[in-house]
Amino acid sequence: MSKLKEKLEKGQFVITGEIGPPKGVNLEKCLNDAETLRDYVTAINVTDQQSAVLRIGSMAVAARLVQRGLEPVYQLTCRDRNRLALQSDLLSAWALDIQNVLCITGDHPTLGDHKEAKPVYDLDSVQLLHVAKGLNQGYDMADHELDSSPDFFLGAVVTPGLDPVEPQVIKMKKKIDAGCRFFQTQAVYSPEKFEDFANKTRSFGVPVIAGVVILKSAAMAKYMNENVAGISVPDSLISEMADTPKEDRKKKAVEVTARIIRQVKPLCQGVHIMPLGWDELVPQIIKEAELS
Amino acid sequence: MHATIQKPMNEIIDNLKAGEKVFVVGCGNCAAKCHSGGEPETKEMAERLRRRGVTVTGCACTDNGVSLCKLAIVKKMLNETYKAETEQADSFLILACGQGIHTVMDATEGGAVHAGCDTIFGGETVNDDYITEYCSLCGECIVEKTGGLCPVTLCAKGLLNGPCGGAINGKCEVDRNRDCGWQLIYDRLRELGRLDEMAEYITPKNNSKWSRPRSLSMSGSKATFKSLAGEHTVSNVD
Ligand code: SF4
Ligand code: SF4
Repeated sequence: MSKLKEKLEKGQFVITGEIGPPKGVNLEKCLNDAETLRDYVTAINVTDQQSAVLRIGSMAVAARLVQRGLEPVYQLTCRDRNRLALQSDLLSAWALDIQNVLCITGDHPTLGDHKEAKPVYDLDSVQLLHVAKGLNQGYDMADHELDSSPDFFLGAVVTPGLDPVEPQVIKMKKKIDAGCRFFQTQAVYSPEKFEDFANKTRSFGVPVIAGVVILKSAAMAKYMNENVAGISVPDSLISEMADTPKEDRKKKAVEVTARIIRQVKPLCQGVHIMPLGWDELVPQIIKEAELS
Repeated sequence: MHATIQKPMNEIIDNLKAGEKVFVVGCGNCAAKCHSGGEPETKEMAERLRRRGVTVTGCACTDNGVSLCKLAIVKKMLNETYKAETEQADSFLILACGQGIHTVMDATEGGAVHAGCDTIFGGETVNDDYITEYCSLCGECIVEKTGGLCPVTLCAKGLLNGPCGGAINGKCEVDRNRDCGWQLIYDRLRELGRLDEMAEYITPKNNSKWSRPRSLSMSGSKATFKSLAGEHTVSNVD
């Protein structure tokens, strides 16, 4: 059974990580990244052609994690598959012992490296959750009975930092009705804003795992503020990074990330750490955040 | 309205064989409004071709406000009014949408055609200089639930149940100068005091109603829509 599910249902605080499949067939590096997380996380997200850039599939990499006794969260986007492919991939994933699925819309192809691709979006993320729930109950989306059914632990994403946040909250509610049992969020840098979101959604009663992206520099913060939806790194944090000499950046990154985690911890049921290459800092962050 | 834009001149010329004699056809309705194939553009195209050494036997455009996609009118225009000129032509260059192209084929019993335009979308003529797309002709309208604004068309991903997480300040992730369709829908429903409608689940589209080619037949007050979803007849009176 999914350890992620078990812990979240028991009300325990979880830590999850993330790896990005490579553009090619050599999985060594991404599996090594996963290994560095082994002792610290409950489950590891495997991204599905993130930013619409062609990569090896998330199902294959998730299956390799399973083989090693690591628990994946299989990310599945609506961007590239129609309803037949989505359902078939879900059944295939279950056959490979993948139990956690994150149902997401997916970045538009024009953001990636195959800009002329036909965007599919035959289903949206809410509809995909519905369909996955149906498979769990033994039926495909045309209401035909399956000869045997999976039992996925279904999750979705929410972006708490968007302004206005209300459309996100409305959609979050729809996702829950469609079968979503946990949420992962876009990176949180402003605990105050996150608290506001947590207050608005607490009554939904579904565990939220707060996203944490390790902040590497002031330039990265400024870039994200301008270009990544729902991320607003506060000015105070940007100056804190800017005032740090280059050689101390990693130390600062650990300090800042651990501080954010400590601040959001009472407001959520887990943190999803996205190290963006600074994987080696994760153990220290977890220690300083007093999570271990 | 079917929006069209002229193909580049070199592409039009490349599509003609050496010595091919051409008759140019325009549309007095949509293509005229798009400045891609009204009467002036049709005459101009004939001249532009001649200047490049192409033999043009003549040109014709339906009357102002009359669409080229009306078979009876085009038959009369090409087979009677311009009979002499069309008889000398090897092919027709059509400055109109794809429906117009086929109407010319039907009118001339399989005459050879060249597309002079790219057909780009069906849109609203907001003013004389601007046409934009509000409907993707999906065959199953859901705007009742979205305040009259179409998410299939206005959202870059055609999402039916609310926004993705990609908008910044109400602008879409595919183009930061373009409104996020779901921001528009949210604003509109909020203005109308109908935000509760945004919380309703919208089921996946029946894409078989969007299958092509589709047809519509009219018989008295009845109309029948035929697609891969089957035949669907309605009566337009009680
Ligand atoms: S829902 Fe379909 S029919 Fe209605 S406006 Fe949108 S594309 Fe057109
Ligand atoms: S940003 Fe808005 S319009 Fe663009 S894809 Fe997302 S929901 Fe659709």
